[in-house]
Amino acid sequence: MKRFGLAVAVIFALLAAACSSGGSGTGSTGANGQVNLVLWMGYTPPPPASQGVEYESLKGLIAKFTQLHPNIHIRMEYVDNDYALQKVTVALQGGEQPDISYQYGTNMPQVAQASELVNLTNIVKQPQYGWTDFGPGERDVATVNGKVLGIPALVDNLAVVYNKTLFAEHHLATPGPGWTWSQLAADAKAITDPSQKIFGLTFPADGSETTVWEYEAMLWEAGGHILTSDNTKAAFNAPAGVEALTWLRQMQQAHALYLDFHPDAGNSETLFNSGKLGMIITGPWDLSSFPNVHYGVQIMPSWAPGGSHQTISGPDNWVIFNNGPARVKASLEFLQFLTSPANLLQNSMATGDLPTKLSVVSMPGFADFNVKFPGAGVFAANLKNVEQARPQIAQYPRISAALGREVVEALLGQTSPQTALNSAAQQANSYLVVP
Amino acid sequence: MLRVRRILESDHVAGWAFAFPAVFLIFLFGLVPVAWSALLSFQQTNLISPPKWIGLANYRALAHDPLFAQSVEHSLVYTALFVPLSVVGGLLTAVALNRNIRGIRFYRLAVFVPVVLSTIATAIMFLWLLDPNFGLVNFLLSKVGLGPYGFFDSINGALYTIVGMTVWGWIGFDVIVYLAALQGIPRTLIEAAEIDGARSWSMFRNITVPLLGPATLFLVVWSSINALQLFDEVYFLTKGGPGTATYVVVYYLYSLAFSQGIAGYAAAIAYVLLVAILALTLIQLWIGRRLVYYAS
Repeated sequence: MKRFGLAVAVIFALLAAACSSGGSGTGSTGANGQVNLVLWMGYTPPPPASQGVEYESLKGLIAKFTQLHPNIHIRMEYVDNDYALQKVTVALQGGEQPDISYQYGTNMPQVAQASELVNLTNIVKQPQYGWTDFGPGERDVATVNGKVLGIPALVDNLAVVYNKTLFAEHHLATPGPGWTWSQLAADAKAITDPSQKIFGLTFPADGSETTVWEYEAMLWEAGGHILTSDNTKAAFNAPAGVEALTWLRQMQQAHALYLDFHPDAGNSETLFNSGKLGMIITGPWDLSSFPNVHYGVQIMPSWAPGGSHQTISGPDNWVIFNNGPARVKASLEFLQFLTSPANLLQNSMATGDLPTKLSVVSMPGFADFNVKFPGAGVFAANLKNVEQARPQIAQYPRISAALGREVVEALLGQTSPQTALNSAAQQANSYLVVP
Repeated sequence: MLRVRRILESDHVAGWAFAFPAVFLIFLFGLVPVAWSALLSFQQTNLISPPKWIGLANYRALAHDPLFAQSVEHSLVYTALFVPLSVVGGLLTAVALNRNIRGIRFYRLAVFVPVVLSTIATAIMFLWLLDPNFGLVNFLLSKVGLGPYGFFDSINGALYTIVGMTVWGWIGFDVIVYLAALQGIPRTLIEAAEIDGARSWSMFRNITVPLLGPATLFLVVWSSINALQLFDEVYFLTKGGPGTATYVVVYYLYSLAFSQGIAGYAAAIAYVLLVAILALTLIQLWIGRRLVYYAS
């Protein structure tokens, strides 16, 4: 009997361990009007202190909100942004979805298919949300098939960060706002020095969205489009797309381009910070990675003088999942609070993040932004060059993957730019016929 | 009452009771997902919105998917290189380590260490070593007039670089298995052969290798299953690239299911892989039964 008792005890201990959910993901609504919300976000607390500023800022704003709304308690839970879609997918299967989740803009078409996602179309029309104050590119990315499903959480854009010291050493004029890609190419070639392993420009070559969105900015500047306006066919293989890819290939052939096959690992940032790269196309989030170089920031070049300097933005969103009316209402109150111009200003000044609302840029408190975060002011001003968004359709991630693969093949000279883009277009078109 | 008590106290009940937690967990995390993905493979689903039943359409689409064909080809090339290299390499290393010399424990430990290191740590190390522009390996090669080689960053070399890295990473496992098997070879057979004047190569070929048959069969089956499921290294190091150079089956299905929201199709690929692995394993075991000599 002893033996049996032991076996039973072991079973229950193991089952208890296996089945306990750990309690994550579950908020609640109390009888006394107390609402407990769960917020998924990708910020980590310090240390290192430099990476904790966004966490601290959000935590401070939550504390401020809780003071104003003592009955709403918000628990921050860390979810790596890269896996937020997967985590939400799994959580939805088990009905354990958070109340608020941070999602990349590219995740929206997929998140949009969750029936638990709260449709915000009519809600954001209320004046207190200041919906039209968000940039057009941000609003586009929060909208899927005409339905507003997210509230902008973070906005950025691409510009060119250049090493002033290298420019001066080679007696090059610093780039002006009207510069062109051929000027950039000439500068990059002048800076390139194989004996010192110095490259003029870096370009991500892992074929991921990081590769694709940098290419897409160049495509748009050349007057091209990713898809036709009705999102039914690929359009990137038109002459504009070929021009952009050919330029990159020629830079690679001139050995002026450092192909970064592991952009997630931060190779390019390290090299730029070590003075090994003349220019890097990147966003405001990277500026804090360059403490060792004297850098400047300039908006994207145009193809022809006087042409388009538009850039691409990767806005991220807060989305709300339905866990009952009380929790939805509390979540909305919080996001409205979080995106009020005064709080956005406070967050920008604390973190260096660009404000998601355009009116913040002209607020008096914003004047010191570029002083406190050198170069970030160019990115803030560059928000007006965000003229379009990537197609918000469910097939986009797969199209992007095909485009990324083919861009890299062309960069490495396996195929010509036109052939590569045609092949990507053919794949994209086959994905687009499936709803 | 006594009867119930006797049943409860029998060895069978106790045995199953002890096994139950493991059986339950294997059922929950092994068999349920297997059955569920079978269901998924007949659906068009992104795991979020309600699924649509589409019968065999996912399986039919596989036949016209060039990226799937490339992924299969890369998986097969990888397996065809990884299995023999790691098994033969493991055997030779084990024989070299199966002797009493000073510091033998250190050598054995050194060979086994890569097996217990986390893949991400070794991956990062190899990235640094093999970087085309700034890596130590290309620096040393340039000293003798070779290179630079692209390694992970070259379309023609990336898959072979992963083969090399994973053979390095897993050879220690083969070595441990072979070392254990080598210890089990009866001294008497070796001594008898020595008395008969056999040379060491002949003893190795005619005594050692046949007696290691069961270990070899196990390693070939186990390595093949692992090789066909290659994922971690590709995910960390190349993301299937450059271009499509290192797309392998599991990486392709992962990217479909979890980055692109095409879970039904990905499940169909997973099932094709499952059947392929099952078939290959059965063939290997069938051949093994004919070739392998079991001493007992």
